[in-house]
Amino acid sequence: MSLLSAFPRTQIPDEAEKLRPQVKAFLEKSISHMRPQDRAKTWTGFDAEFSRALASHGWVGLTIPEGYGGGGRDAFARFVLVEELLAAGAPIAAHWIADRQSGPLLLRYGTEEQRQFYLPPICRGESFFCIGMSEPNSGSDLASVRTRAIRDGHSWRLTGSKIWTTYAHQSDYMIALVRTSGEPKDRQKGLSQFIIDLSLPGITIRPIRLGTLDSDFSELHFEDVRLPDNALVGTDGEGWTQVNAELAFERSGPERFYSALVLLDMWAERMRAEQCPQDREILGRLIARLASLRAMSIALTGRLAAGESPVIEAALVKDLGTSFEQDIPEIVAASVGAVPDRDADPDMLATLAYLLQLNHVFSLRGGTREILRGMIARGLGLR
Amino acid sequence: MDDILLDPFKRLLAHICTPSVIRDEEGRSGLAQCWGELEQSGFIDALLPESRGGAGLSLSEVFPLVVACGEAALPAPFAETMVARALLDKRGAELPTGAAIVLAPPSPVVPLAAKASHALVTANGRLSLIAMNAGASDPFRAGGYADQLKGETLLEVAAGGIDLQAWAAALAAAQMSGMMMRILDMTLRYANERQQFDRPLSKFQAIQHQLAVGAEYAVSAHTAAAIAMSGQHFDPLRAAAAKVCAGEAASKLCAIAHAVHGAIGVTEEYDLQIYTRRLKQWALAFGNERYWADVLGSARLGTEAGTSADFVRLHLGNME
Ligand SMILES: Cc1cc2nc3c(=O)[nH]c(=O)nc-3n(C[C@H](O)[C@H](O)[C@H](O)COP(=O)(O)OP(=O)(O)OC[C@H]3O[C@@H](n4cnc5c(N)ncnc54)[C@H](O)[C@@H]3O)c2cc1C
Repeated sequence: MSLLSAFPRTQIPDEAEKLRPQVKAFLEKSISHMRPQDRAKTWTGFDAEFSRALASHGWVGLTIPEGYGGGGRDAFARFVLVEELLAAGAPIAAHWIADRQSGPLLLRYGTEEQRQFYLPPICRGESFFCIGMSEPNSGSDLASVRTRAIRDGHSWRLTGSKIWTTYAHQSDYMIALVRTSGEPKDRQKGLSQFIIDLSLPGITIRPIRLGTLDSDFSELHFEDVRLPDNALVGTDGEGWTQVNAELAFERSGPERFYSALVLLDMWAERMRAEQCPQDREILGRLIARLASLRAMSIALTGRLAAGESPVIEAALVKDLGTSFEQDIPEIVAASVGAVPDRDADPDMLATLAYLLQLNHVFSLRGGTREILRGMIARGLGLR
Repeated sequence: MDDILLDPFKRLLAHICTPSVIRDEEGRSGLAQCWGELEQSGFIDALLPESRGGAGLSLSEVFPLVVACGEAALPAPFAETMVARALLDKRGAELPTGAAIVLAPPSPVVPLAAKASHALVTANGRLSLIAMNAGASDPFRAGGYADQLKGETLLEVAAGGIDLQAWAAALAAAQMSGMMMRILDMTLRYANERQQFDRPLSKFQAIQHQLAVGAEYAVSAHTAAAIAMSGQHFDPLRAAAAKVCAGEAASKLCAIAHAVHGAIGVTEEYDLQIYTRRLKQWALAFGNERYWADVLGSARLGTEAGTSADFVRLHLGNME
C-alpha cells in the first residue's frame, strides 16, 4: 500500500451536493423536536417510522438501481445523505444495515431472483436487516465460526448461535456467515453467507440488556432451522471473500467519526455563552482532526465508487475516526467536571452521560482496534 | 498520477540532496550548493502563469512537490521561494534572480533561513522582501535562524489580505507531512530488518501496532496538508487545520520512530535524526498546534449556524 496515493484528493461532485439542502430541510421538519440525548444515538437509534419517512423521499437504498426500487445514485450522494443524517442525529438504525451493506451485498452477489425479492422492500423502508457474524466463541477470530448449515436435498438445515447482533430482535432478515463444509480448523475455507428469514421456526432471539438498560443487540439460537435453497447468498464456500468485500463499506464511512457530533455541537454552543480559552483550543484541535478524517473518508468513497475495495485504508479511517469520536465525550466530561459550581444543562448532561457509558463500543463494533491495527500493519508490509 | 511533474522533480532531489549533502549543508550557512541547479530546473516558477514564463499550476498541483521537499529534507527553501516568486510577480514586482526566499512571519525559529538569501516579512500591512543579515544560530542545527529576520528592504508590496503566517504554516505542514512519510518509511524498513529474539522486530505485535498508529498519523497529516494546499490561495483556517494535524502527528510519529529504532536512531551516522530534528523544528515554527487550534476553535465559535460538519465542509472541505 502506498500511503501517499491511498487517499487521493477527492471532491464531492456538485450533483451529489444538490441533495444536501433537501435532506437538511427534511430533518429540520422531522427531528428538531427530538431530545439531544436521543439524537445522540444516531445510527443506533431505532425508529421504523422515521426510516419509512426517509424511504418515501427515496433516501433508503439510494445507491440501489432504480429497477430495484432504489435511487440509482452514486456513493457520493449517499455520503452527503448519511453525513447530514449523522450530524443531525437522525434515528437511522432500522434501515441502516440494509442500506449500508446488505443491499449492496445482495446487488453484488445475489441472484436476479434474490434482488427482485429483497431489494424493493429494503428501498421502501419495510425490510430491516442485521449482520450475523459474531458468535459466543468467535469474536475477533471470525473465521472460527461454528454455526453450520448442512445441505439436505433442496434445502439447508442451520444449527448454531449468533451474538451481539445489532437489532436482530427488530429485524426481518439476517445475513449470516456460517460454515457449510470442513471444520473450524479449516478457517476461511468452507464458509458461506446465508440470508435468514428471522420469522422461521427454530429461531429464538433474546435481546441483551446493556448497563444503560437499552437493548441494542441480541443473541440468537438456530435449532435445525430449515432454509430454502435460495437462502444461500453468492457462492458456497466463498463466504469469507464476500464478507471482506463488505468491510470497506462498513469501515470507511462517516459513521466512524460522527457518532458523538451532537454532543460536540452542544458543547460548542455552551462555550459560546461562556468562553474558556483552553476549551476553545481543544475544540479547534477536534475540528482539525475532523477535517482530515472527512477528507480521508471522501477519498475512500471515491475509490469505492470506482469499484475498488480499499479494505486496509478503511481500517485506518475507522481506527482514527473511532478514536476521534471516543475522545469527544471524554473531552466534554473534562470540561464540564472542571467547573463544579456551574449548573450543567440537563440535556447536555444526559447526552454526555449516554455517550460516556457507550463510547467504548465505538472501537469494538465492526472489528476491534487491535484487529484493525494488525491489518494496517500487514498492509504496511510488516509481519 | 502526478508523475510527469513529480517524477523528474524527485529524480532531481535524489541527485542533489543525498544524506551526505544534507549533513554538509548543516555545517554552514549560506545558499545550498544545489541552489543553482534547483533554480534553473524550471520547477521554481511552477506557480507563475504561463504568460509569465511559469507553468501555471495550482496549489493542489504543486502540493506533491512541496511534500517531496520535506521527504528529502531539502536544505533549501524551494517551496517558499516558489510561492514567494508567484506572489511578488502577481503584485507586479520585479523578480530577483538568484534569490532563495523564506517566508518569515513572527516565529521563534525560521526553518531554512540560514539557507536563504532573502525573506518575505510583513510590517504595517505591507509585505517586504528583505536581503537578509545573518541571524541567531538554530538550536536544532537544521539550517534555520532563531530570531526575527532583519535586513535591507529591497521592495514592498501591499499585503492585500495575505496572511503570511498562514502561508508559512501551510508550507510547513506540507513539508512536515513529507518528512513524516520518510520517517515512517525508514522505520518500517528498520522493523523488518532488525532482529531481536531471533526474529525481525516486525513480528512483535506491540511494534506492529505502534507502526500502524504511526501510519495513521502520517496519513492524517498528509491529508490535512492537502486541504491547506487547495483553492486559489492559502487560507488561515485551512492552514490552521493542517498545522494542527501536522504538529500532533509529528510528536507522536517521532516518538514511535525513535522507540522502534532504539539507540541507533539518535546517532549522527544514522539518518533518522536528520528528519526528526527538522520535524520538531518545523512544528515549533509559524505557530504550533496550540496556536492554530485556537484560531480554528474561535472560528467555529464565531459561526453560529450549522453543525461542526457544516463548518468543516464549508471552510475546510475544498480539495481542488
Ligand atoms: C455495540 C456493538 C454492536 C455489535 N454489532 C454486531 C453485529 O451487528 N453483528 C455482529 O456479528 N457482531 C456485532 N458486534 C460484535 C463485534 O463485532 C465484536 O464485539 C468484535 O468483533 C470483538 O469480538 P469480541 O467482543 O468477542 O471480543 P474478543 O474477540 O474476545 O476480543 C477481546 C479483546 O481481545 C483483543 N484481541 C482479540 N484477538 C486479538 C489478537 N489476535 N491480537 C490482539 N488482541 C486481540 C480484542 O481486540 C479485544 O480488545 C457488535 C459489538 C458491539 C460492541
